[in-house]
Amino acid sequence: MSATTVPSAAEAVPPKRAGLLARLLKDPAAALALVFVVLVVAAAVLAPVLAPSDPFDNDLARTMQPPGSPGLPLGADSQGRDMITRLLFGLRVSLVMGVVATGAGGAVGALLGFLAAFYQRWLDGPIMRLMDMMLSFPAILVGLAIAAIFGPGVFSVVLALSISTVPLMARIVRGSALVVMRLDYIEAARAIGMSDARLIWRHLAPNCLSGIFIFATLRFGQVILLGSALSFLGLGAQPPVAELGAMASEGRNFLFFAPHIAVIPCVLIFFVVLAFNVLGDALRDALDPRLRV
Amino acid sequence: MSSVAPSPPQPSPAGGGGSDTPSPAQRGGGGTAANGTRAAAREGGSHAAKPLLAVENLVKHYPVRRGLILARQVGTVRAVDGVSFTLNRGETLALVGESGCGKSTTARLVLRLIEPSAGRVAIEGEDITSLSGAALRRLRRRAQIIFQDPYASLNPRLSVGDAIAEPMVVHGIGDAAARAARVRELLGLVGLAPYHADRYPHEFSGGQRQRIGIARALAVQPELVVCDEPVSALDVSIQAQVVNLLKELQLRFGLAYLFIAHDLAVVKHMADRVAVMYLGRIVEIAEKRALFAAPRHPYTRALLAAIPHPDPSRRGQVTPLGGDVPSPMAIPPGCRFHTRCPHAAELCRTQEPPALEIGPGHLAACHFAATLPPVAAAPGGGLSSLAAKRLALFAAGRPAA
Repeated sequence: MSATTVPSAAEAVPPKRAGLLARLLKDPAAALALVFVVLVVAAAVLAPVLAPSDPFDNDLARTMQPPGSPGLPLGADSQGRDMITRLLFGLRVSLVMGVVATGAGGAVGALLGFLAAFYQRWLDGPIMRLMDMMLSFPAILVGLAIAAIFGPGVFSVVLALSISTVPLMARIVRGSALVVMRLDYIEAARAIGMSDARLIWRHLAPNCLSGIFIFATLRFGQVILLGSALSFLGLGAQPPVAELGAMASEGRNFLFFAPHIAVIPCVLIFFVVLAFNVLGDALRDALDPRLRV
Repeated sequence: MSSVAPSPPQPSPAGGGGSDTPSPAQRGGGGTAANGTRAAAREGGSHAAKPLLAVENLVKHYPVRRGLILARQVGTVRAVDGVSFTLNRGETLALVGESGCGKSTTARLVLRLIEPSAGRVAIEGEDITSLSGAALRRLRRRAQIIFQDPYASLNPRLSVGDAIAEPMVVHGIGDAAARAARVRELLGLVGLAPYHADRYPHEFSGGQRQRIGIARALAVQPELVVCDEPVSALDVSIQAQVVNLLKELQLRFGLAYLFIAHDLAVVKHMADRVAVMYLGRIVEIAEKRALFAAPRHPYTRALLAAIPHPDPSRRGQVTPLGGDVPSPMAIPPGCRFHTRCPHAAELCRTQEPPALEIGPGHLAACHFAATLPPVAAAPGGGLSSLAAKRLALFAAGRPAA
């Protein structure tokens, strides 16, 4: 090793690395998923502008019109309401449910998981026993209790789903954090004398990201379906509010006469969940420096 | 060789070293200036006999608990059981012993990464076992650590530049530009190039990663560096490079190394003094030459004799130690080595041997340390020819100092 070798080496500076978005878009599936997610979110946000009619505007003369009927490209539901309008408004509720419940519940759960692993001696027992207690209540039961307190509605559903996400995320994060905590770079960080908050944020959390991403994307789909189930039980979105899960369960009664009423919302749920899963996977990979070329 | 890399595009005074206000924060910024004061401090400090690090009767016991709800203590692991030594500035003390003998625990106690059960660790006379807050943060700047596993010791999500700069950020040394300059300087010091700062750990080989770990440890200009088996995970040829880099940095910055190892060839090349540990206690400590030439403790002799020999005809001459190391949960009474010692007598089974002074600075905890027959001097001063060859390899790779 000699300092004289440095200038020549310095000339061979590699080109600048691609940014996060550029890395994300390199994967065609991820790019497609990203475009779809952006479109879906835009459609949901702009639903009042885009929708051809009012979501509550029923017309019994158009009841269960099949897709392709005049003026109804996707048909009408059992109340004769335009499916396109219903889907746009239903998307709003479903997306808010999925994003907020996964995001808020996941964030609280991840924080608890990190704290349990980091302060294993004092907090692991109390936090994880609390999580075990929460795990013992199914989401439906939590939803019932919350609906009893706040009354049925979208808010209650989101709250119930957030709460039921917390212990699952906490368990997963604690598991991966315990593995990371044993690695030398955590000890090196301690030897430097940084604060616990910095250690968790800079060294512990980034190395648990892959588990968090996998679970969050899986949970997003589950949450939308669970939200539909709660709506179906009459705890969530109350008729006539449009919600994808509620629309699907409503269409169930007419599956043989007008399958489009149930199938179209299900197909939309499927693609939304799929897009979020692909995007989550791609984001996880794009954030991992080890997978960069 | 100058510490400031003579790279043309960058104005020569590295970091904030050229500025007019020499504040304490400049310590990390100006490489050359600080190096000068460090050397001066070393000269000034040498007249006082106070060691940089003094460890007295250090003990770490781990309780072993059984039971889920009402855990009761069923035993104690005596990982470190009364260890004492001193370490001077610019000196290397090697800590050797079998795995599980408490070497790494001792190292972590010295850095206060774990809390001792009893005993004292003093850096320049100041007891660090009771430090907290700002005083503990000052200790973190004075004592750093280099790890064994170069793959686990770097956060894969931090670029090399960020990893090396982080200690300076944590301690508020310099501004962003000064830190970036210092990162380039440190990379040069450990034999890497400035553009490596933007890369991530997975893009480097084991030896390069170890260099990055060394640069990170040096970022806060420590006086004491604990090297926890820094080369045992590397190839032999890379070992020589890293060992010689460590020696070079020691000469340059007056670093004191607490060097943990089980490879006696590396120890012989690196160390000034050697402490041999067995079951949580130092059984022999001496100047390197004295220890390799005339080991007094039977365990030290067994360790030296256990170095593999390439010549099969000479293999049968030494009888290796029988049995296993006793559990640190059940340390034998009397001399803790008596269960495996070929010279054990009745006295050894009942009475713990005190550390006997054999020569100046040469202590051995054996009842018969003074009376044991001298060991036949092996070629290479106690090392087999294989180890001696590797030693020669280390010496050949060493820069003219």
